[in-house]
Amino acid sequence: MSSTDSLPESSFCAGYEPAVRNLEAECDGGRPIEGTHFAGRQSFTGRLTGHYRDYGPYPWRWYLLGSLTRKPDGFVHDAVWCDAESLYPVSDPGRTIEQLCRTE
Amino acid sequence: MDSPLHTQLCDKLGIEYPVVAFTHCKDVAVAVINAGGFAVLGEALHTPDQIAADIKWIRERIGGKPFGIDLVLPSSVPEEKTVDELLAMIPQEQRDFEQQIKRKYNVPDPKVAPDIHHWGGLDQKRALDQLEVVFDERVPVFASGLGSPAFLLKRAHELGMQVWGLVGKPRQAKRQIEAGTDVIIAQGYDAAGHTGNIGTFSIVPQVVDAARGTGVPVIAAGGVTTGRHLAAALALGADGVWTGSLWLTSRESDVNMPLKERLLEAETEDTMYSNCISGYTMRTTRCPWHDEWMSDAAPAVLKPPLQMILSSNYIQGSLDYQRKDLMTEAAGQGIHYVKEMKPARQILSDIVEEALDVFDRFSA
Repeated sequence: MSSTDSLPESSFCAGYEPAVRNLEAECDGGRPIEGTHFAGRQSFTGRLTGHYRDYGPYPWRWYLLGSLTRKPDGFVHDAVWCDAESLYPVSDPGRTIEQLCRTE
Repeated sequence: MDSPLHTQLCDKLGIEYPVVAFTHCKDVAVAVINAGGFAVLGEALHTPDQIAADIKWIRERIGGKPFGIDLVLPSSVPEEKTVDELLAMIPQEQRDFEQQIKRKYNVPDPKVAPDIHHWGGLDQKRALDQLEVVFDERVPVFASGLGSPAFLLKRAHELGMQVWGLVGKPRQAKRQIEAGTDVIIAQGYDAAGHTGNIGTFSIVPQVVDAARGTGVPVIAAGGVTTGRHLAAALALGADGVWTGSLWLTSRESDVNMPLKERLLEAETEDTMYSNCISGYTMRTTRCPWHDEWMSDAAPAVLKPPLQMILSSNYIQGSLDYQRKDLMTEAAGQGIHYVKEMKPARQILSDIVEEALDVFDRFSA
C-alpha cells in the first residue's frame, strides 16, 4: 500500500511506501557536475525511509536512503534521494525495489 | 563474406562501421555520421532550446541518417542548498590554497567569472525538461550517460526511439537489460571523466555475458582509440565501440587549439583519476591544479559542488587566456594513441583499416 500526496508548486508528487521502510539498500548513484558537461559517480549504502518522490509523467520514482553507512568522503548529508532503478536491496540485489514491493 | 566489422549494431542503426563517437561538438558528430559511423552528441549542459537547435542543425546535414543525444540523468541527489549557502561552506584553508595556486602559476582571472548562481537544478526537473525535447524531436537514439533510463523506456519505444544505457558495473547492465534498454554501453575505468572502477577488458565480457541471448548489443567504452582496440572489443563479444577522447583533437572539434595541442602531447600517465577538480573522482589530464592538490601541503578536497566552485575560476582563466600549461580536459587512457590532428573522416577510416588488418592477420 502506498500513499501519494501532491505538493503544490512542486515538480514531484511525494508519498510513502511502508513495504520498503528500513530495507537496507545500495545505490549506484551520481549526478551531473555543476558548471560542466561531466558527471560524477557516487555510491551509498543505507536504509530506505519509505519516503518517495515521483517526477514527471512516467513516473520517475526516487526513494530516500537514510542512515547512511557508506557515502563518499566529504558527503555531509545524512540521507540521499536515489533513483529507484539505481537501488539494489542488500539482501537480494538481483531484484528491484518495485519487485520487492509487489511481493510484500 | 561479410566484413568482420559488420555487427548487429550496424544493422540496428543502419550504419557501416560499429564505431560510435561521443562528442560535445556538432561538427564532429556530423562528420562521423557522414563517414559511416555513428555519433552521440552530449547535451548535458544545454537548455532545452539549445538542444532543439542542435538537433535541427544536425538533421539538416546528415540526410536522414540516425544520430543520438546523450543526457546525464542523475541517479542520486542530496538535498539542495542555495549557492550563497554553498559559498559560505568553503573553509578559509581551501580558499587560501586556491589563491596560493593562482599566485604560484600566475593563473589569470577569467574574462567573465563562471556564473555559479546558474548552477544547481541539475537534477530531476532539469533532466525532465531536456528529455521533453528529445521526445518531441523523436531523436533516433537517446543515450543515458549515467543514471538508469528504465523509467522512460515505454514512452521512448512508443515514439520509435532507441534507448541506450551506459553502465560501469555488470549489475547495472543486467538491471537495464531486464528493463528493456536497447543497447548497453559497458564503460571501463580507462575512460575519460566519470567511470566505474572496473577496467574495460574486465567489464566488457561480463556485460556481454549478461546480454547473451537477449539480442541487446553491447558497446565497449573506455580507452578505445585505435583499430586494435576495436578488434579487441569485438573479440570480447562487443558489437561496437564508444569513443570520446579520439575526437577531441579532430580538425572539426571546437576544443580550443592550445588544449588540442596539450591533448596531443598527453600520455596515458597524464590522465589522472582524481576528485580535485570537482569533488567527484573523474579522469582528466594532469595540470598544475592536480599537482598542487595531490601534494602533501594540500588541504582536504571539498565535497561537490564546493570543489568545483574552487576550481572553476582556474579552469575558465586557463581557457580564456589560452594558457596551455594550465589546461585540463577529461580524457581517457587511450590518449597515448591520439597524436595527430586529423579530419574525423580520416580518424574513422584509420580505425576501420587497422581493425580489418587485425582480422586479416588472424584469418591468415
